[in-house]
Amino acid sequence: MIQAEMVEATEFPELANRHGVSGVPQTTINDGMAHVVGAVPEGNLLAEIQRVLAG
Amino acid sequence: MAQLLNDDIIKQIREVFDDGLKNPVHLMFFGSVDNCQYCGETRQLAEEVAAISDLISIEIYDLDADADLAAKYNVDKAPGLVIAAKEGDQVTDFGVRLAGIPSGHEFTSLIQDIILVSSRDSGLNPQTREFLKGLEKPILLQVHVTPT
Repeated sequence: MIQAEMVEATEFPELANRHGVSGVPQTTINDGMAHVVGAVPEGNLLAEIQRVLAG
Repeated sequence: MAQLLNDDIIKQIREVFDDGLKNPVHLMFFGSVDNCQYCGETRQLAEEVAAISDLISIEIYDLDADADLAAKYNVDKAPGLVIAAKEGDQVTDFGVRLAGIPSGHEFTSLIQDIILVSSRDSGLNPQTREFLKGLEKPILLQVHVTPT
């Protein structure tokens, strides 16, 4: 149910643009439903996932 | 093409693998003949890493020629790498993907991903695992990085 993909942003600029990447690392959830810039502690990522699922 | 990993690096990786690799890992590389600047280097890098340990196997695929397999594993970028588990002939997907060349710091991510999949343990805390067990909708996490 979960897929995690590292995306080398300079090779996929269209996706990076679409996801509004302004700094790296940026974690994008479900193709733009949420974004987190910088390192993400486990609890914060879980909270973001829960927010996306609730939204 | 000349070897990408020099002897020193290979020695270091071998030490890390000797310590960290517990179970077989299967790499599935997806390249493309069209407009793929880093496919050749990424493939070679993955093959050189796989050659370091008997616990790592690798298969080479093409995004177009192997479109069914790419769709099955939800790979839509080249170069793309699926880091999966393997027991005998059985490949188990843990959803771990790399898109683009894992160079610079991201080379460390490749090595760590291999060790993580080899451990068969996400390392997540019990509350997180409990929540994720109940997931009813798929979650896609894409971590944009740059190779510096």
